[in-house]
Parts: sequence; structure tokens; C-alpha cells
Amino acid sequence: MSLLNEEIREQVKQELADLAGPVKMAMFTQEFECQFCAETRQLAEEVAELSDQITVEVYDFVADEEKAEELSIDKIPAIAVIGAEDYGVRYYGIPSGYEFSSLLHAIKMVAAGKPELSEDTLEVLTGLDEPVHFQVFVTPTCPYCPQSVILAHQMAVASPMVRADMVEAQEFPHLSQKYQVMGVPRTVINETAHLEGAAPEAMVLEKLQEALA
Amino acid sequence: MLDFKLAQPQQEAQQDADSGPDNQVYDLIIIGGGPAGLTAAIYAGRARVKTLLLTGSLPGGQTANTDIVENYPGFPAGIEGPELAQKFQEQAGRFGAQIVVDNVTEVNFSTRPFTVLTHGTAYQAQTVIVAAGAEPRRLGVPGEEKFFGRGVSACATCDGFFYRDKRVVVVGGGDSAITEAIFLTRFASEVIVIHRRDELRATKINREHALANPKIRFVWDSVVEEILGEQTVNSVRVRNVKTGGTSVIETDGVFLYVGMKPVTELFAGQLELNEQGYIVSDQRQRTNMPGVFVAGDVQDPLYRQVVIAAGSGAVAAIEAERFLEQHSQP
Repeated sequence: MSLLNEEIREQVKQELADLAGPVKMAMFTQEFECQFCAETRQLAEEVAELSDQITVEVYDFVADEEKAEELSIDKIPAIAVIGAEDYGVRYYGIPSGYEFSSLLHAIKMVAAGKPELSEDTLEVLTGLDEPVHFQVFVTPTCPYCPQSVILAHQMAVASPMVRADMVEAQEFPHLSQKYQVMGVPRTVINETAHLEGAAPEAMVLEKLQEALA
Repeated sequence: MLDFKLAQPQQEAQQDADSGPDNQVYDLIIIGGGPAGLTAAIYAGRARVKTLLLTGSLPGGQTANTDIVENYPGFPAGIEGPELAQKFQEQAGRFGAQIVVDNVTEVNFSTRPFTVLTHGTAYQAQTVIVAAGAEPRRLGVPGEEKFFGRGVSACATCDGFFYRDKRVVVVGGGDSAITEAIFLTRFASEVIVIHRRDELRATKINREHALANPKIRFVWDSVVEEILGEQTVNSVRVRNVKTGGTSVIETDGVFLYVGMKPVTELFAGQLELNEQGYIVSDQRQRTNMPGVFVAGDVQDPLYRQVVIAAGSGAVAAIEAERFLEQHSQP
């Protein structure tokens, strides 16, 4: 049975109709599929069917260890959304509910390879000389969360120093606990800085600079 | 049960090379992407008014954060809030409104064309419709800010999951408070509703459900004075408004549903506000500033319904169009 109904498929098809370039989704699961691994794989495959620009490669987290390492995948289910290059856009856990819209946004964004960020932000990001890692904790029922995920992903597209993960809090309780996630969205930057709520671009940028200071 | 929502607006429109946002004057800028703003955009688009809509941080507005809408005409079986918001957006986009997901940081209504700033971009327009909506009111007590995201939440659907088998407090007695308290019983072991009166304001059907729910306990006639904890929340201090006595209630989380307030800080000093902070307008959705109109919850302390917000959005757009006709250079 398909995950996406006919109506959603039609809308997604329209939304992905004029992708600016090819997109590859590298999906990681394992032989005994984890909770939501099967659904995440199926979702990636169903989305790819709706555009001839999108391909899916399915990897085994254990057997394809090298590939996982190459893409810095450290947990499953995972999707790396890759455009002309790998910008470091990652989904850990299934992008269902509201996060489905952020997945479509990520696909369009890596296809174009152009982030929609202000000049100020771009200037800071292109000047980065140390790595930045965003982990945006979400739940699928959180309408404010896609905004935070999209923003982090845009920053990843803007700079090779930045990588950005959506982390579905319910599927990774140990991480939720480690980072004391009790509300979403919660954005963790380089382990040190964190932000509660759907903060605007300027505020995220400020936190990023704080994390590096 | 997995579902998949398409609630983010499509952004292609803003990429037109010849309509860069910095260097042109729009006929109309709509501030806010809820039912009021989107309906205004539908009407303005059909009237061929060159329109930019800045959504704010939650495209679709409160509708996008509503589980199901059962009283919007045309959907006899009800419709999910995010889906309804998406349909509004589609319809606005179809008639040519340019929709941008951004927050307005400043406005200048002192000269026409008016200026509307987001962080990064200055936009100009001959007319503006303010449809910035309302946001959850905060308690304004010690601990609230400190523990926000660490035990204090205003979104049960977002954060309920983190309180599985835990005890939570819901502050408020209206429909939002009660429906969310009922929702939270799916996760929490106990839900304590703290309400400042001795009866609920919520509609009868919600009251009945809540009062019959064995997981929900009520603390009447009481207000939260402080939210306490170490790293995260562990209790709230409560004062009984009738006896004046205080007590401490242990809890892992605090969900706030103490009503809504209009998002009008940006407009103070430029538009007339009433004592509660709502923008003052006349029957034709005009503000005290000619060319600036208003629609939706930002001017409505009484009803706060999707259908009413949409209706006022339509009025504001029609009036903005008339204003443009009367003030266009020959």
C-alpha cells in the first residue's frame, strides 16, 4: 500500500515539476529494518517516482559502512538529499507530517543549489573557517518545525562548512535526552549553542556566531 | 498512522528576475499569511492588484496549527487545519499574489508609498493590509521565559510526546486549554488544569469530555505565580484567588492556554490601538492611516473564527482596491 495518496501525489508532482537539476536521495536502512526504516525507504521511493529528476539509492547502514562514513551518516533511518554536490542536507527519522513539506523544500533547494538567505547571512556563512553542525529536533505534528529545518538546510547549502540534520525526536529518544529536548523545534548548533522555537534567520545567525565564539 | 502535509507555500513566485523585491513599488502588501491575509490576496489578485504577501513565521496562521476545522462552510465533513490553509494558499497563488515566507521587523506608514521591512529586505507599496493575527498570551511570571522549551510549552501537539507517563499542568479554562488537556491525556499520566475561575469557559461539549476524563484533575480559582525547577520544570507555585493561600504543585511540564493577544507591537505609534492592543478600524476595515487596512484576529477581540477572518480580508482587499483607484495618478 502506498504512503502518499493520489491527491498528495498529484500536488507533489506539480511542486517538483520544474526542478532546476538532478537530485539524489541516499537512503540508509538495514537488513532488519528499524522502526520507520521501511516507511522512510518507501517514502523516498514514492517521492522519486513523481519526478524524473530524482533518484533513490538505498544503502545498508551495516554492510555499506564506507558509504555511511563518506556521507557522515551515524544513525538510521537516514536520507541524505544530494544535488549537484553534497551540501550536507540530512534527514534522520521519517519526514512525515509537517516535515514532508520541508523534505520537498530541501529537494527543490539542493536541485537549485541556491539558498534563499539574506546578504548578511551569506556573508557570514561564506566566511566560515570552521565546521558548523546544526541538529534541528522536531516532531511530525509540529507546524513551526519545518521553518527551522528549512533555515538550517539553507545554511548548509550556502556553505561547505555547514551541515544540517533534521532529527525526529521520537525516533531518537537517546539524542532527545542527551540534548534535553522537551519542546520542538529545538536547534542545537555544534553541541554548544541551542535555540528554542522557530527563530527568524537573524537570530539563528547570531546563535551560530555565538557557538563559534 | 503516518500522514504527509504540504503546508509550506510554494516560493517560485518570488524568483522572477524582473520583479526583484527591492526595487519596485507594489500596489498592495499584505502582512500575515493566515485566512484573513490569504483571502485578501485572493481578492486583490483577481482585481489585478499587484500584491506581495509576507506570511510571518507560521504560513497559514493559526489554522495551520489547528487539528480540524469543522465550521468553515463548504467542508461538511470538516477539514484539517493545515489542509485548509494550503487550499487558501493555492487559491491566492493562482490569482497571482506573490507569497514570501518572512517576518516583518519594521513598518513605516508615515509617507506613501509605505515601507515594510523584513530582516534583509525593504519592500514598498501604495497600500497595506495588516493581517498579522494573534499569538498565544504568556503568563508573565518568573520561570516562564527561563523554562520555555524545557518544560514550558504553548503547543501540545508539538510537545505532548515528551510527556509520556509524566504529569503536566495546563493553565487556562477556555476551549483551547480544554481540548489540549484532553489531547495530552494520550501521553501524560495525569493532567492538572489550573483555572482562575470556578467554572470552565469552554463550550459544553468540551467541558463534559474534560470533566468525565479520569486523567484530568482541576485546580479551581487559582493562578500560577511562578514556574520552578532546576534544569527543567519540577513544579508550579499557585495562588488561590479566593483564599489568597499558596501551594506548590509538582509537575514535569506546563502548557499555557491563557488566551490570545493581537500581534501589534510593530504598529504601535503608527496605527491606533485600543486598550487591549487590537488595531482600531471602521466597518470598511480602514485604520486611522489612509491606505492602511486591517483584517482578521489582529482587529477582532470577539469572534476569532476562520470564516470571519476571511470575510474581513475580503472587505480589506476591496477597500484597498478602491483606494488605489482613487489615488492613482492619471
